[in-house]
Amino acid sequence: MSLINPADSIEEQNAKLQTIAAALMKRVEYDTAQSGAAYAQFERAALLEKRVRERTLELERTLDLLHDSNAQLARANQETEAARRNLADAIETVSEGFALFDGADVLVMCNSRFCRYFRDTVPQLDPGLSFAEYVAQVSRSAHLALPKGETAESWTAKRIQRHKDRHVMFNVQLSQDRWVQVSEHRTATGGTVVLQTDVTDLIRLERQERTRLKDKQARMIRATLDHLNQGVCIFDEDARLVGWNQKLGALLSLPARRLQLGVTFIGLLDQLDDEFRFVRGLDRDGFRHWALAAGPRPPVSFEVRDGAQSSLQIFGRGMPDGGFVISVTDVTAEREAAQKLSDLNEILEQRVMERTLELEDALSAAERANASKSRFVAAASHDLLQPLSAAKLFLSSLADRLPDDRDRQVLGKAESALSSAEQLIDALLDISKLESDGLSFDIRPVALREIFAPLRDEMEVMADRKGLTLRVLDSSLTVETDPAYLRRVVQNLMANAIRYTDTGRVVVGARRSAGSARIEVWDTGPGIAEADQGTIFEEFKRLDTTASSNDGLGLGLAIVERACARLGHPLGLWSEPGRGACFMVNVPIVDRAAPRRTQSARRVYATGLAHAGLIVLLVENDPQLRRAITILVESWGVNVLEAEDAVTARELLRDLDLAPDALLLDYRLGSGPTGLELYDEIARDLGTLPCALVTADRAPELRQACADRGLELLPKPLDRHKLARFLETSARAAVESVR
Amino acid sequence: MDGAQRDATADGARQDAALCVAQVACDHPAPIDAICADLGDRALDLVCLFISPQADFHALTNAAIGRFGEADVLACTTAGELGRDGYEDGQIIAVGYPSDLFSVVSYVIDGLDTLDEQTVIDELIQRRLALTRQAPEMTSEFVFLMVDGLSMREENLTAMLAAGLGPMPLFGGSSGDGTSFRQTYLSRNGAVVQNAALVALVRSRCRAKVFSLDHLVPTETRMVVTRAKLDQRLVSQINGAPAAAEYARLLGKDPTQLDPFIFAAHPVVVRLGDSHHVRAIRQVTEDGELIFFSAIDEGMVLTLADHTDMAGHLRRELDALEREGAPQHILGCDCILRKIEAGQTQKTRELSQILRDKRVIGFNTYGEQIGALHVNQTFTGVAIYPPEDPDR
Repeated sequence: MSLINPADSIEEQNAKLQTIAAALMKRVEYDTAQSGAAYAQFERAALLEKRVRERTLELERTLDLLHDSNAQLARANQETEAARRNLADAIETVSEGFALFDGADVLVMCNSRFCRYFRDTVPQLDPGLSFAEYVAQVSRSAHLALPKGETAESWTAKRIQRHKDRHVMFNVQLSQDRWVQVSEHRTATGGTVVLQTDVTDLIRLERQERTRLKDKQARMIRATLDHLNQGVCIFDEDARLVGWNQKLGALLSLPARRLQLGVTFIGLLDQLDDEFRFVRGLDRDGFRHWALAAGPRPPVSFEVRDGAQSSLQIFGRGMPDGGFVISVTDVTAEREAAQKLSDLNEILEQRVMERTLELEDALSAAERANASKSRFVAAASHDLLQPLSAAKLFLSSLADRLPDDRDRQVLGKAESALSSAEQLIDALLDISKLESDGLSFDIRPVALREIFAPLRDEMEVMADRKGLTLRVLDSSLTVETDPAYLRRVVQNLMANAIRYTDTGRVVVGARRSAGSARIEVWDTGPGIAEADQGTIFEEFKRLDTTASSNDGLGLGLAIVERACARLGHPLGLWSEPGRGACFMVNVPIVDRAAPRRTQSARRVYATGLAHAGLIVLLVENDPQLRRAITILVESWGVNVLEAEDAVTARELLRDLDLAPDALLLDYRLGSGPTGLELYDEIARDLGTLPCALVTADRAPELRQACADRGLELLPKPLDRHKLARFLETSARAAVESVR
Repeated sequence: MDGAQRDATADGARQDAALCVAQVACDHPAPIDAICADLGDRALDLVCLFISPQADFHALTNAAIGRFGEADVLACTTAGELGRDGYEDGQIIAVGYPSDLFSVVSYVIDGLDTLDEQTVIDELIQRRLALTRQAPEMTSEFVFLMVDGLSMREENLTAMLAAGLGPMPLFGGSSGDGTSFRQTYLSRNGAVVQNAALVALVRSRCRAKVFSLDHLVPTETRMVVTRAKLDQRLVSQINGAPAAAEYARLLGKDPTQLDPFIFAAHPVVVRLGDSHHVRAIRQVTEDGELIFFSAIDEGMVLTLADHTDMAGHLRRELDALEREGAPQHILGCDCILRKIEAGQTQKTRELSQILRDKRVIGFNTYGEQIGALHVNQTFTGVAIYPPEDPDR
């Protein structure tokens, strides 16, 4: 719609337009003049309002920005505050005291546990407190247990010094035995975190644990001490009693109230009344001197007697810490036993003395007899040989003159008889030599071949004459012996074998057997009955009565036996009647690598026995054999109780009230009980004892009976090796039983 | 109306609500008793009564004296009420400002035609400072103005007040007399005044947002006021022709048919820069002159405005207020012309629904004040948001 009403005339339109223009112009011109007019006010207000609105919008935007910033700031503040609160909460939950100092050593924050023990001098822990002031305040606290010699100032100085270290951790003692561990940690920004941990419980626990351990050790020591069958007391470096067992009081008859911790050694020593006599080793003053000596003490050992009966052995030893230990052992029983033994020894010595005197009498008588016999034999032999030689000379000169063959035959027989007599006399000379004391051997290495070869040549003739085969097996062994006597032994054994063998053969050889050469002489003769095996070595014993008297007087084996005994070459015999016999001589081999032996074989046996102090009961009804065994065994350092039969043996044991270490029993003891029966009786009284049964009886039943009882069976003739082995085993058993 | 009472009771009893609201029909035998009962015993700082012209204003304000404890009681007559059912008539709406959330200073500005600017400004500033001292902890604030809708001095008053408002946003409404335009009344604590204004300076823990909406769009049809009686807001000549006839000609209407419904349907605005302000026509005189609801001037260019969809616009704008959380209440001053337009375009029900949905209370006015401006044909008010966390 137009401003102009088209319905109007032009004039009207013109007039209206002029009116409009006038109104508009007036409005424009008087706008400001008519300021009081309501519309103008409105218009101004509207314009203002518009501007205000624009400003307001700007302001609002700014405000929004400000709000945003404020909100961010608030959030940041909140976060900071929350972080701080969290931190504060966190350090509050820490069970330790916690404090944070900044790079300038000024307190930033701490929790309530920090310095809670020092509230008397550290009442306020406000941020801003300097580290130095904190330390100074703590140092003045009455609850701080300053180390000896420290003042609050010196402690503070040390603490500040410590603070300069990169890592700090130390324990602080508080009053009432409380402990705080203080540690410092540097933060990345150069600040310091101080932690105070209450370690009282730990330290107390540790101490308790240590005490407990100590208690345990002490209990163990106590139990050990009380377990000992000795009195023990321990003194410290000031010679004050620190430990003892009950046995001590009992042994020394000390009242319990005297045995108290800290009692001085001198006090205790004075308690021992005059009934205590220092009998062996130290005297009272010497003991006191030893105990009070400064520096290391040598161990002392001495004996005291309390009254008449009890003997106490006292042993003292220093300890590294300057204290010393004394042990007291009741040796009354030992002393009594020793006394008894010594009494027994006296009895035995007396008996030995008596016996020795008897034996000396007998021996001198025998020696006298023997010497006169030897002298007689030697003289007789010499005196006999002279006329024999003369007779032979006469006979040989006579033979040239006899034309008649028959006469010459008679003469030959006479000559042969003279030769036999000559040989016999030679043998008698040998025997007398072997039995004399002045005999000396020429012991040296000898090749058996040197002995065997000449004998083979010599004996072959004899063997051929009887139609026997003689075989001598060559041997490369070298033995250690007197070659002349060994030759005589082998020669006699060969001669003996040829003499008693009618058909078949004789074999001689040597075989190596554990360090010795066993020379064996086998024959196919009639053999030797077991009952006779002991007697064949006696002089003038000849079993084969059918043998020609020309064949000798039976001195050969006697010489062999004596020579082997004197040379220490064990002699053995195996034989079965009807099958032949074998004589064996063991001769030590010379080990080519080993140096020449200087000790005789005999002394080797003594080694294990010499100091064992073995007591052996020997029961043998044959006086000669009993004597021989006694001499042999005593030469090994073994004490021998001898008896001739079971009854005597039992009486002897009863009298002496003694258990021998070993029994050496002959099986056949005359008309009385056998050795086996005797053993059973003794075992009943004294228990099982090592025992060897000596017998020539080879019956399997007897062997079984020995095996059942665990007895050694030593066949006759007695092998000294076996005997020595048996005794050594017994000695070991005795030593072990003592242990 | 028992139902109304029950509802009022239900509203008033909401102790957690920012505002206490009660509503009774003006034919209720003891409306103040009912209101007192409905508002409950919560301590109040201010009670505003929007009273239908059908009620006996004097009797009611008298009856209200001393009935609300320490609270000041401000009352005005209306051109219709915004109640629980949206657009309503014949109602008494009571709005209580609980003391725990609000702090109020109210006073009367009397003799609007003889105001001394400085006095008005001084008093406002002093009252503002008093309020600030009284409730420094309450951070949001606004000024609610009730002004005599027949005083014709609103522009003058708002322009004066604006100088002393400082940062406080002001909104208000001119009291009405239905569609009669004879008598409007205001009263403070039982003292009834005319040619006056009631000022309530409010501080609150609740966020408050003052707003003013209109749904008009200027057209290209303009006219020039060529003769007017400014003090009576009377335009006698437009475009050099008799005002009513020329207005009717421009609308293509018969000048004899001009009535408030035509005015509501065809508002005129003044354009100032890129904004426009409605200069609503109140009535046409027998001499063919137009009386406006607001100040006019000779040489003033009026522009015919077109309507956008009123309901859609209102919903959109009120929705926008909920962008940062829905307000608990909207205290609204809605121009009588909007109510008339709604009736004309059969949108009363739809608009009432929106007003209900958005929990709007208030009244229909003879004009609205926003800041320094007195405007017409707007929906102007304050949105009260739920109280902020009292701990903060």
